Amino acid sequence: MSKASTNSVELAATGTAPKKTGRQQKSALRGWLPWTFVGLILTVGIFAPLIANDVPLVAKVDGSYSFPAFADLVGDVPPGPHDLSWKQWWSRLSSQDEDWAWMPPRPYGPLETDAALFYSEPSWAHPFGNDDTGRDVLARVVHGAATAVCLGLPSVLMAALIGTLLGAWAGFARGIVDVVVQRFIDVFLCFPTLLFLLFASAFFGSSWFALITVMVLRFWISFARIVRGEMLSLRERDFVLVARGLGISTWRILVRHLMPQTISAIGVTAAFCMASAIVAESTLSFLGVGPNAQSSWGTMLRQGSEQAAIGAWHLWFFPAAAIITVVVSCHMLADRLRVQPTAQ
Amino acid sequence: MGRWFLIRLLWLLVTLLGVTFVTFLVLDLAPVDRAEIEVMKARQSDSYVDVAHRNESIRKLRMHFGMADPVTGEPLPLWRRYKAWLGNALTLRLAGPGEDHAALWRRLAEALPVTMLLGGISLLIALLLGLPVGVWLGRRVGRRRERFWSAVMLAAIGVPEFLMATLLLLTFSVVWVQWFPAGGLRSTGADEWAFFWQLLDFLWHLALPVFVMSIGPLVMVTRFVRDAVARASAAPFVISLRALGVEPKTVNRRLLRHGAVPVATLTGGLLPLLVGGSIIVENLFSLDGLGHLAFRAVLGQDQAIVMALVLLTSTVTLLALLISDLMHRLVDNRVRLTD
Repeated sequence: MSKASTNSVELAATGTAPKKTGRQQKSALRGWLPWTFVGLILTVGIFAPLIANDVPLVAKVDGSYSFPAFADLVGDVPPGPHDLSWKQWWSRLSSQDEDWAWMPPRPYGPLETDAALFYSEPSWAHPFGNDDTGRDVLARVVHGAATAVCLGLPSVLMAALIGTLLGAWAGFARGIVDVVVQRFIDVFLCFPTLLFLLFASAFFGSSWFALITVMVLRFWISFARIVRGEMLSLRERDFVLVARGLGISTWRILVRHLMPQTISAIGVTAAFCMASAIVAESTLSFLGVGPNAQSSWGTMLRQGSEQAAIGAWHLWFFPAAAIITVVVSCHMLADRLRVQPTAQ
Repeated sequence: MGRWFLIRLLWLLVTLLGVTFVTFLVLDLAPVDRAEIEVMKARQSDSYVDVAHRNESIRKLRMHFGMADPVTGEPLPLWRRYKAWLGNALTLRLAGPGEDHAALWRRLAEALPVTMLLGGISLLIALLLGLPVGVWLGRRVGRRRERFWSAVMLAAIGVPEFLMATLLLLTFSVVWVQWFPAGGLRSTGADEWAFFWQLLDFLWHLALPVFVMSIGPLVMVTRFVRDAVARASAAPFVISLRALGVEPKTVNRRLLRHGAVPVATLTGGLLPLLVGGSIIVENLFSLDGLGHLAFRAVLGQDQAIVMALVLLTSTVTLLALLISDLMHRLVDNRVRLTD
């Protein structure tokens, strides 16, 4: 049965290119810009509470040390000292004190409001400006990255694992396994992703687990199709025959000799899936059913566009720029990893 | 050919069964109990005062909705409920037991034309523009102009649909200039205008939504055709044609056919994309199509409509895939897939 590709992931990735040459493979890794952006977004996303927060990284209170920002990374922030909030305590510290605190590079939390700064335009103190309740837009953008990455990264990793295993198995073993996996792919290909994500949000109360499950259900087929396709052609190559003749076990042929050749295809798919995951998260938040409404680029964009008519351009501009930069970087990365077709 | 078609049709039915079963399963896993929702709604009007009364009504509603056995009142297992749903679906009673099927069909019939129009125009634009542009780019792969336009396409699909729609709305109909209407399909009072002006008004309203919806499919078709043509350009037959001194125009026409083959297989696959797009576009531009209906159904936790929509969209998608495979066989007589 011939297969028509169905979504952006497959379409862009299955444009099977001519044979790779050494020069093209090397050039695939060149182009530092998308790598930088994707690396940056992952780092910022994972370590957001250490980058922009209104609690200190390290604080010495009455002779004992505490690490409230690191606590924020893994769970709850401990209450501030002397019945003050951490920020108040920090701002009242004087140089004569025994106590001291080391604040994150961006000493503003995503939820910290400031009545003096409603709608204030970008300035040196607040490069991205402040929103309608005086929250620092830069801090919100940083924490928006956290929401996107926390949803995208686990779903892409899980989908890559499941999809690669099933795809490799189906492509290598053929027979009944292949037929069954193909049927599953057909079934999941039919689901309109956004509709499913919407009802995961609505029916399961925007739970992270439900959203990640739906994304994995949608993304694994991308990996499975690509890896299966690669396997189908790889398994017919002479070196596999030689390996078999040398008595190398099937498992070892698969893991040591075939899988490494599919890495670039998996990378392309992962980059595309990451982009779709980020788009999906911001779309859901934009529609008001996201997993973390407090800090998400989609939420910021909706609020910003509602206030755009009164001239507050910085409220929508920065989250929009963040989304576009990240998604375009992911697509560029995928484009780089994919070997370009060449005309002669 | 006939046998191939029958086998494909059979697989289509199997896949549909799978799709609806998975959807049913997921909806069943959700901690949403329709009977309890109904009772909660009623309790706001103070009709249930004591707990026993309330439990009794939940029990009755469960039977009414087909969630529990009508005789014993025990909860029905998943497969029995799925079987009941399937039986109803086969006779086109999609609204769930004891509800107004005609009303559901009326809602679908009102919403369908809007979405079909949006999706149809977008698909048409994607194909009519994507094919020639793709061939043009495919002949120039690696040159400066091709690199430029490919970068533009990369940037265009890097902007998510909801963001594109928001930016266009802000720019062209709210903040900067007011060239386009912010939503709806017709101006107020358009009924009295002459047909031509009504049509123009209609197209004017469609401009932004169609633009947003057609970008994704357009880029996809163009890239696909570009890659296919770039591969074909290196084929021996093109080299010999050029060596024979055949005009570039004629060569391009031959290449167009190579670009058309992947498009035949691609078209069916674009449909799920358009479904997703319609949800966003119809919401932002306040159009009453299927996407909007789906959005409201999902937020209202209306399982019957969700099931009906998944059945509808997956049937259309699968049929489109089947037709595009059929087209592929007709366009390209090298394809003889038997399994």
